[in-house]
Amino acid sequence: MRRDIIIFLLMGLLCTLFSAGAVSAEKAWVAADGAALKASADAGSQTTAELAKGTELSVLESDKKWLRVKTAQDQEGWIYRGKVGSSPPQQSESGSGSSIGGLLGDLSGSSVQADSADTSRSIRGLSPEAKEYAKQTGTSADYQRALDEVIDVKVGKADIDRFLKQGKIGEYAD
Amino acid sequence: MLLIQNRQAQPETETRSISRRGLLHMLGPLALLLADPALALDLFKVLDPEGKSKDLQKAKQIVQGAGSIMASATDLDYKSEFAIGESLALEGFKRYGLPVKNKEVQKYITLVGNTVARNALRTDIPYYFVLVNSSLYNAFACPGGIIFLSAALFKAMNDESELATVLAHEVAHVSHKHALQSIRRAKFFEGVGQITTANMKGADGQKFRNMIGGLQDVLFDQGLDQNMEFEADLSGMECAYRTGYDPTGFVRVLEMLQTRQGGADKKGSWFSTHPPLPERIQKCRSKTADYPDAKTLATVKERFIAYRAQV
Repeated sequence: MRRDIIIFLLMGLLCTLFSAGAVSAEKAWVAADGAALKASADAGSQTTAELAKGTELSVLESDKKWLRVKTAQDQEGWIYRGKVGSSPPQQSESGSGSSIGGLLGDLSGSSVQADSADTSRSIRGLSPEAKEYAKQTGTSADYQRALDEVIDVKVGKADIDRFLKQGKIGEYAD
Repeated sequence: MLLIQNRQAQPETETRSISRRGLLHMLGPLALLLADPALALDLFKVLDPEGKSKDLQKAKQIVQGAGSIMASATDLDYKSEFAIGESLALEGFKRYGLPVKNKEVQKYITLVGNTVARNALRTDIPYYFVLVNSSLYNAFACPGGIIFLSAALFKAMNDESELATVLAHEVAHVSHKHALQSIRRAKFFEGVGQITTANMKGADGQKFRNMIGGLQDVLFDQGLDQNMEFEADLSGMECAYRTGYDPTGFVRVLEMLQTRQGGADKKGSWFSTHPPLPERIQKCRSKTADYPDAKTLATVKERFIAYRAQV
């Protein structure tokens, strides 16, 4: 009887160790840009860090839409599950090089500038190549101006977060 | 740059020095190359695992070079890709009309689009969205991230999750560079690695315009390869789900289009440029099994309807 109890307890201990090992071994990767690491499982809580896409995480705990994670640099906190994948994100092949730098720089703005588009101003936003194409094809100024206005609109992270919050989407859902 | 370098790397003299036996060995991998270059290279490993055959090694080098040639149109730098996208967008306005004159609605669509794009495969480029005055049910993506949505399709939707999934589908096309893949054999890319104003003139300029014409054929009339559409369907649903939108919104859009297909003008619309709806609906419905909590996710109907009423 006593021996049975010892075996039972040992098996229980092994199961506990095994399951703890499985949890600690569970890996995940940040799958979105600028994913916020939060102090608690709540979008309104303090952002303790912004994690780059591809950051490897150890999943410590899950709570509905949130995961408690730890990075290799020992940053610990909660992340919205939609920002996490079970495998490393594929690297896009944009080949952006230095040419994209200016464009991405514009994205850091915090306001959507659609309101500021002025249809009376000159066509200045199209690339020299697109302007040349328009010239070669006799594309009217109306179409060029239309495109210019489209690519003049910039959206920043703060705009998107505000928009998600207003719509109660993702990490801002009830 | 990419195309010409790859061709220069394999001088003709090398191909002439391969024996008949080597050429025979090459036939299998070359045939496979058309379908799957990686598989072709695997076959070389089987034929000559230790790399002792000089003929086979030469043949392998050629196959590797050819594979690079076929893939290289998608390796354009972003600036060049965007120049193609801008040129195609100009043609898009000619074909589908000018933007809807409502800055608030344009801003709304831009926000929905960028919200899902943040969770896309390709997040290191900016995305632009425009609602155009068109009575055709359509949406398409220009290389580089300029995405068009027709007013007809927008007005036929019922909530924001439907809009989000359609825009996510188009973002997926940009992420996977589907349009560029479809024109990778265009003559313009032979000898051109980067697009500048210099190669927009003269004979190169004509080739560029021909390439844009080819893109119009693909995106406005014939449609992309069906597998690309299915890939974008599933990728877009996943992207919307990650954002927090109900991914079944996409199935609802497809079902709505199916009910309207009979009386709709098909030329230049989603009906003519996308795979048959029943097959797509079936595939997307199957995918929803991956999202057991879909019904708890956001549809944001009220906000959507408020903006839709302005168009």
